[in-house]
Formats: sequence, structure tokens, C-alpha cells
Amino acid sequence: MPVHFSRRAFALLAGVSLALAACTQAEPQEILVMEWDGYQDPAFFADFQTANPNVPVTFEYGVSDADILGKMEAGSQADVFHFYSGWQQFYVDQGLVREIDTTKLTNWDKVPDSFKEQGQIDGKQYFLPWDWGFSSILYNTDEIPEVTSWDALLNPDYAGHVSMWNDGPAAVTVAAYIHGWDETAITDEQLAQAEAEWIAQKPLNTFYWSSEYTDLCPGIMDGTIWVAYAWPGCYATALYEGTPVAYANPVEGRNSWIGFYGISADTDSYELALAFLDAKLADVTMANVVNLFYYGAANQDVMDAIEDPILIEAFGIDDPAILETTNFTPPVTDAQRTAWTAMWARVQAE
Amino acid sequence: MLGRRGTLPFLVGPPLLWLAALFVAPLFLIVLFSLRPESGMVAPGRPWDPSLVQYIQVLKTPSFLRLLGTSTLIALGVAAMATLLAYPLAYFLAFRARARATLYLTLLLVPFAASYLLRIMSWKLMLGPAGVINSLLSSAGLISEPLDLIFTRPAVVVTLVYVWIPFAALPILAAMQRIQPSQLEAAADLGAGPWARLWRVTVPLSLPGALAAFFMVFIPTVGEYVTPTLIGGTGGIMYGNLISDFFGRGGNWPFGAALAMLMLLLTVVLVVAAARAVNLRRLIS
Amino acid sequence: MTSLARPGAGRRPSSAIGVGRTRVPLRGFYLTILILLYLPIGILLIFSFNPSQRLAFPLQGFTLDWYQAVFADGSLLRAARSSLMVAAAAATAATALGTLVAIATLRFRFRGRSILLGLAVLPLIVPFAVIGAAMFLMLVSLDVPKSLLTVMLGHSVIALPFTTLIMLSRLAGMDPALEDAAMDLGASYPTALRKVVLPLMGTALLSAWLTAFVVSFDEVALANFLIGGDPTFPTLLYGRLRFGGQLPVLISMAVLLTFATIALSLVAVRLARRRE
Repeated sequence: MPVHFSRRAFALLAGVSLALAACTQAEPQEILVMEWDGYQDPAFFADFQTANPNVPVTFEYGVSDADILGKMEAGSQADVFHFYSGWQQFYVDQGLVREIDTTKLTNWDKVPDSFKEQGQIDGKQYFLPWDWGFSSILYNTDEIPEVTSWDALLNPDYAGHVSMWNDGPAAVTVAAYIHGWDETAITDEQLAQAEAEWIAQKPLNTFYWSSEYTDLCPGIMDGTIWVAYAWPGCYATALYEGTPVAYANPVEGRNSWIGFYGISADTDSYELALAFLDAKLADVTMANVVNLFYYGAANQDVMDAIEDPILIEAFGIDDPAILETTNFTPPVTDAQRTAWTAMWARVQAE
Repeated sequence: MLGRRGTLPFLVGPPLLWLAALFVAPLFLIVLFSLRPESGMVAPGRPWDPSLVQYIQVLKTPSFLRLLGTSTLIALGVAAMATLLAYPLAYFLAFRARARATLYLTLLLVPFAASYLLRIMSWKLMLGPAGVINSLLSSAGLISEPLDLIFTRPAVVVTLVYVWIPFAALPILAAMQRIQPSQLEAAADLGAGPWARLWRVTVPLSLPGALAAFFMVFIPTVGEYVTPTLIGGTGGIMYGNLISDFFGRGGNWPFGAALAMLMLLLTVVLVVAAARAVNLRRLIS
Repeated sequence: MTSLARPGAGRRPSSAIGVGRTRVPLRGFYLTILILLYLPIGILLIFSFNPSQRLAFPLQGFTLDWYQAVFADGSLLRAARSSLMVAAAAATAATALGTLVAIATLRFRFRGRSILLGLAVLPLIVPFAVIGAAMFLMLVSLDVPKSLLTVMLGHSVIALPFTTLIMLSRLAGMDPALEDAAMDLGASYPTALRKVVLPLMGTALLSAWLTAFVVSFDEVALANFLIGGDPTFPTLLYGRLRFGGQLPVLISMAVLLTFATIALSLVAVRLARRRE
């Protein structure tokens, strides 16, 4: 009996001391980031790495906003996650995100107020704006003198030379711009009309692009594609290679999107995550975003310092009128997104 | 010391356990997912009532069903062509290459270690509207408009056949290797000429390999999506693209799961029917 | 073999086996397929020396910069090594398991024989992305961290149908009398398998292993769901290709990998031949 007892007591003691030891540990010194493929490049957290060379930064990957949200929901252990505009509400509603203590961010003042607002829900700063860009129409000026409207993507004159992005919500957005519909309140009739129009567009479309640099850019640069839904990346790339292209300012306005970082509500590395996000906004890292990926940076100092004329052209830095007519991507409800992606799948299958 | 019967658990056990843990269990999760009524966000913890809503949605969309049918036909065609073209290749390796067969076979498979994406980009360079072939033809004045060699459905079919031929040759080769030279000599002794020997000895004996090759190509091709994405263009989509889109960008795992299960069901039915028709048991045993 | 060495026996020696040599250009067919398979590699090789960012003619000169960049970039080499390890391990597991399934299915009659075979081949039906998503879900609910090991496990599953079908083809119709003879001489069944059956299946085992290796080495859809901190080469490649400017370096890496694989295979084939 006594032996039994003391063995038990010993086990209990051992267990308790282990538990105590675990509790008193400092925050674990590593950070897991839910990211898009490509952003794992150290250039995109260069400042963090310089300040914290011994902290490993590891990654989990998502292929789309829906995928990233799905993985965070499914219980991913990521400390921070990266997604694009329109998805903020989902994270807040599901309690997946923790408010950012902006007083601890040294680079916060460099972010324009309008961007800060986009990352707020109910006045709370849940998200950190980081990268941003436009979506507009990229076109070959040798073949098409000027593009003034989004309906260029559905113009039969360009049959065989059009490339649309393979994305349902984007297709609905384009239809909404063309017809002047309210993006946040698309009716069933409007959706059906958009579906019919995109199905009719299929013979004009050479391919739907999924990956900017492997699908779209080669098509633009070798002259196969004359007009495409595009981000500034291929615009800048084509200009650097000498292809005669222009980035449209359609009458309906360009579309614009912002990339955000959020801190997971479940993270046990909150301080480290804050430091990571702060370093993300720092000058070197943000300059890399601009120069390597041709995306805009939320750090206004970096944007003001751009001297490359091609980049100035791509971001419309010199022309404030562009931003005035730009439509920022609004939040989409789950039901809307589901309906829009289902519509696009039907268009593809037709 | 283990006899036949005693060894059986060791033969059956490991694969069964491996598959149960790493395939059956995940597959079961997919089936469960396909029964979730909500689309989109899918936290596993939330309670839900099973429903066939997703399946009904798929069955109500004629374009999806048509695409499944088309993809199945494409897969049948690709499997048939790949197996037919692989046959002479396997024959060469089995009966002509002899000692060098291993080397020749390895050389066939090595290119697949280079990224498929990059290899397709090279083909696009050659076959694209602004590519080498079109440029040569148009500068020679033979064509005025570039030929549509890529971004079409036929391009997908040709590419799939091209990619599958080396793999389809492998089971055929394996089957051919059990053909003894003495069997062919015996046939020759009985007066059979080379083509008769092929038809009456080689083909029947290597048939299990050819069938294995056919199924090996057919089954995954129904759900193929990588090649259609890269060179199918607007019209070259296959059913697998739908599935992969809903699991990826579309972020609707329950719907994607329903799509996948329907494809799985159809494929299993077809394969079982074909196996029965060919009387596979007789061939195997 | 012996029939060829008896020309004076009144037979037609050269066409004693198979179809007449001159009538069907079998070797030509093989070479054509080989050339078609290596043509894209050749193009990649050419462009790996081309200074331009684009995969387009005309060529703009000659440079070794891209190859230098490959060796300067530790992450590319690490990813390649990870892929090699994962593929080798997955191939070995898949080949072993596939062989077990083939032997069990063809040499025994037991309840559930068709189920075992069906299960082994079933992964072929499910798209890699779906298997990846499913395994991801399972790992998350079991709180198992993702890593190269989880990728390897996933790859072994998707490669299993291929290895099973190949080993099945080899074993089907192979005379069981060989094993029986070995057992009559006092060997246990496992020994009979090991010493009599397996050596006869050498080429098939190699085919199965190579197929599984190649399937794993270039696989990205499933890997994306199951990698942890260490990327495999294909996932790194797809990620890097999101950037402009990375293409030439990645091309050079791919070319290096292909030639390394060729070299390794040649060495392995040489070694195998010496053994015989």
C-alpha cells in the first residue's frame, strides 16, 4: 500500500511541477504566419529578421482568401494571417482575430488614415493594412488605341485576345461597374444577367488567368493578349520589357484592394506578433513590396520616395484624380460570395 | 517458421492499416463534408445536420453534369490512346532493349523530375500563337493567322496522352516480362509468323498489363485539372477544375466534396462494370 | 536467348522472338518519344543561359548569373533536398506496400481480397487537392503538426495505386510453382518471397519506385496543404513564380535537378548491372 501511495504522490508531484514549469515559460520564440505563396520570401519580413535574427518565421499557405479563412476556422495555429479586402467582417464575427495594440507600433504613423480605417471594424483596429493595388484593364496600345470602360473585356472586336481573371466575385464586380449596379446589393436578376453576359464572352476569351507572372504576363508580352483584367504587376513588367501597354482609367473607376494582416485570437505570441507586424510596416520591407512585387505599400514614406517613372505611372502617384474615382472592394457576405462563385463555376462549365 | 497462411496477415496488415489511417479516414471526412448544408466557411467544431443539399445542387446544374460526361469521355479517349501508343514502347523495352531496358526505362521517366509547369511553359513557347512554330510558318508565308495549337480542348487531350505514354508503358512492360522466350519459340515451331506470334501469344499474355495501364490512365484523368488550367484555355476546362476551384479559390469545401464524391461514384461504377466485363478475376487468378 | 545462337538449326534466327526487326521501327518510336520528352528540357537548358527575364526568342546573350544565383540561394537547394528526401521515402513506402498488396491479392484467396485491391487503387480517383484538403482536416483535428513527414505520408498514399498496378502486372501469371519449390526445399514463405520472387521482379520494382518518386517529386496540390515550415521544391517554385524576375533562376534549378536525376539514375543502373 505505501509503495502504491508514494508512487502516485510522486507522479502527482512530477505532473504539478511540470505544469508549473510550463506556465512560467516566457512566450515561445517563434512565429507562424498564414500567408500567400510567394510572401515567404525573406525580403518581405527583412526588418523583422534583422531585429530578431534568432526567431524562426514559419509559414502555412493558403491559395485564396476563402482558403485562408477556411484554414483559420479549421483551427490553424498561425499567429498572424494575411488576407485581402472584403473579408474583414468574417474574422471578427467568428472571433478569430485579436485587436491590435497600435500604441506598440512604431511605424503606425506612416500609414495613411484612410488605410487605417479600412482595417477597423466598429472603431476597433483589428487589421493592419500592408499592401495594396489596383485592378483595372491592361491593354496593348499598338492594337487598341484607348480603353475607356470596363466593357472592353466583353467587346467582340477583341475576340481571341481577351483574358479575364479566373475569379467569380471579380466578374460580378466588373458587371456591376458596367451596369452601374450596387456591388453590395446584387439581385438575382442582376446575377443572372451577369452570368449570361460572361457566358457570351467566352468565345472572345483566350484563357482565364490564375497566376499573374506565368499566365498573364507572357500572354501580354508576346502579343497574344490585347486586353485583360490585371493588377499593376504585369503592367510594370510589360513596361520594363518594352511592350507598348497602358493601364486604363475607365469611366466607372478602377477597383482597388488592400492586403491586411490580423493577429489570431488564439495566439500565445501576441507581443512577438505585434513586433512582426510593426517590422512589416518598416521602410526596407515595404520598399521590397514596391520594387519586387509592384504592389503599393501602406507606408506613405516609402510611397513618397518612389522615383522610378514606371512605378509612378503604375501606382498613379502623380494623378490624384485616379484615386478619387477608384472603387474600394466592399465587404461581401457569405451568401453573396457563395452565389457569385457558383455562378462563375457555371460560366466555366458551360 | 511462417508458411503461406501465416504470412498473410503481414502482407495484408501494413497496407490496410496505412490506407485506413491515411486515406480512408480522410476520405470519410470528405464524405462528411459533402453532407454539410452550409456552403463556404466550414469550422469542423460547429454542429450541423446532414443533408443532401450539396448533391442536389450539383445534380440540378446541367452544365456540371455535361462537363462530367465530357471529362469522362476525354479520359476514356486519353486512356485508350495512351495504352495503344505505350504498347509498342513496352514491347521495345521488353524484347528489344534487353540488358539496357532498365536504362532506357529510367531515361523515359527522368524528364518528369523537371517541373511540369516549366515544361509546359516551354511547349507554350513552341506552340503558342506567338511561338516558334507559328512564327516559322507565318514568316514562310504558309499561314496568315496563327494556328490554335494551344488553349484548346484537343491540345489538352494531346498533352495528356503525351504525358501518360511513358507511365502506361510500365505495367505493360511488367506483364511482358513474364513471357518466356520458350513460349514464343514454341509458337514459331508450330508455324506462327511474327504477327501471329504477337497476336496469339504476346498480346494475350500481356493483356493484364494493358488493362492495368488503361485503368491507371483513365481513373485520374477524369479528375484532371492541372493540364486544362495551363493550356486548356477558355474551352478546355475539365470537371476536375470545378473541384479544385471549390477547394481552393472558391472556398466551398462542402460543395467541392459533393462534386468529388459524384465523380468518385461514377468512376467506381464504370471501373467495376469494365472489370466485370473483362472478367478480371479470370485474368488475375 | 539460346535460340538466337543456333542459326544452323533451320530456323529464322533474328525474328525468332517477337515481330520482325526491320518492319516495325520500334527503336525509332522509342527515340521519338524520348526526343519529345527531352525537347522541353532542352529549351529550358537554352534559356537557363539567357540573360532575359522572359521565355521568348530571340536569345539575348549568354550568362551564368542564374546558375550562380541558384547556389547563392540556400533556400532553393534546401527545398530541392527536401523534395528528394520526401520523394525517396514516399517511393520506398509506396513500392513496399504495393508489392505487399500485389502478393496478397494474387497468391491468396481471402475475404475482402477485392476490397484490399480496390482500396489500394482508390486514391487514383480522388484529385490530389481533395486528398490534401482531407488530410489537412484530419491533421488539424488531431493536432498533428504539418511537416515534410506529413507530405511524405500523403505522397505515399497517392503513389500507391501506381506501384500496386505495376507490381500486380508483373506478378499476374507468374508461376506460383517457384515459391512452392522453394518451400518444398525448406524455406519459409517470407524467405521464398524474398529470395525467389522479388529478385525476378527487379525491373518492375524499379519501375514502381521511379514512378512513385516522380509522382511525389513534382507534386504540388497536396503538398500545399501538408507542408510545415520546409517547402518542397514544387511548392517553392509555384510560390516564387508569383514574382516577376524569379523565372530564370527557377529554370536553372529545374535544369540542374533534371541532370542530377539523370546522373543518379545512370549510377544506380550501373551499380545494378554490376550486381548481376
